[in-house]
Amino acid sequence: MTARMDEAVEGRVHPDVVEPLCTPEEGCITCGDVAVELTVVSIDRERELALCETADGRRESVEIALVQPIGGGDTLLVHAGTAIARLG
Amino acid sequence: MKYVDEFRDAELGRVLSGEIVATVDPARHYKLMEVCGGHTHSIYKYGIDDLLPDNVELVHGPGCPVCVIPMGRVDDGIAIAGNEEVILTCFGDMMRVPGSEESFIEAKARGADIRMVYSPLDALRIAKANPDRVVVFFAIGFETTAPSTALTLKRAKAEGIENFLCVCNHVTIVPPLRALLDSPDLRLDGFIGPGHVSTIVGVRPFEFIPADYGRPLVTAGFEPLDILQAIRMILGQLAEGRCEVENQYKRVVPYEGNPAALAAMSEVFELRPHFEWRGLGFISQSALRLADAYSDFDAELRYEIPGVRVADPKACQCGEVLKGVIKPWECKVFGTACTPEHAIGTCMVSPEGACAAYYNYGRYAREREAVV
Repeated sequence: MTARMDEAVEGRVHPDVVEPLCTPEEGCITCGDVAVELTVVSIDRERELALCETADGRRESVEIALVQPIGGGDTLLVHAGTAIARLG
Repeated sequence: MKYVDEFRDAELGRVLSGEIVATVDPARHYKLMEVCGGHTHSIYKYGIDDLLPDNVELVHGPGCPVCVIPMGRVDDGIAIAGNEEVILTCFGDMMRVPGSEESFIEAKARGADIRMVYSPLDALRIAKANPDRVVVFFAIGFETTAPSTALTLKRAKAEGIENFLCVCNHVTIVPPLRALLDSPDLRLDGFIGPGHVSTIVGVRPFEFIPADYGRPLVTAGFEPLDILQAIRMILGQLAEGRCEVENQYKRVVPYEGNPAALAAMSEVFELRPHFEWRGLGFISQSALRLADAYSDFDAELRYEIPGVRVADPKACQCGEVLKGVIKPWECKVFGTACTPEHAIGTCMVSPEGACAAYYNYGRYAREREAVV
């Protein structure tokens, strides 16, 4: 997810104008059973969403219903916007 | 980077490669199938097959969800997108999968409102931002992705969002594996099991492979050392006369899978009696549709769809590639009429497809360096 998508999540940019990370040229991590490691920055427990960060500092909102309980600083394996495992 | 660098160590890779050479019987030919398209991609990205002896052959399985989508389903999606109020959303790779007349991206160029999303949750956000439109999520993927769709539909239901629908094309991994094992034209010695599917379903569902078919399976991660170690474990089982399910990817895959994901899937989905797989034909109980409790979200019930079975182009041999019967470069149109830019078959569309993996990493024929 791009920084623009983060802004959309926070309501600062209309989602329609956001270009998603997933492009045919770069491939799509969603379609290939691929998961990426993200670090939890903050947690919205009521909505079961967490703000997470990639190794290069990009942030995205992640569904955390499948990996509870988690805490700030945990490393999650994320596929299609959903954390499917907690590492370490 | 933690959890990555240690699984790309070149020296350890050479050690594992040496162990593999020492384990194999030079008089025997080994045919191992990597089930998952993600593994196929890693194998060619890192040149793992160059580290294997000549008599260990890797065969690419049906585990790329884009590659198994038949053309008729693409046509169904385009028909739904033809409704004026609809915004059709899908993952990036799905955009270029050929339908009988056009792909999603061609339909988008023609004026249909089709948008790429990164997750089902993003599609739901688009629905919330466009209350006067109907947002349809064209869901694809194996058990790794299905929970994400299930959680999003649960969220949509809980929040009372009525303009969000789903075309469910989710598939399950065990029935096609059984179909492959029943196929008389394929002789396999063992399987590299799908890593992230197993994170959800666990390793137990694969125990029928050693029990019923006498073949070992090792669930593997996606880094080069993961795959090499899994191959070493399979060959070790064969050398020792053992045949069982082993888990190389224990840092992520629990034996029982993820109970919360399985519960969400069983609430939202039910098995389809039949589903067509590109190249494999109709396989019973191999795909998911929305359960009755979620029928209000089912785009297939809301909109009229053609639902027609479309034969694949005659020149395309994706079926044989998906079954591992031929290598991608043995297909008549590989790299000539069929390239990633102008794909005829789905295996060339997705980077995880066997043909695209071969093409993108320059494997135009079986040219291998001698193992040192």
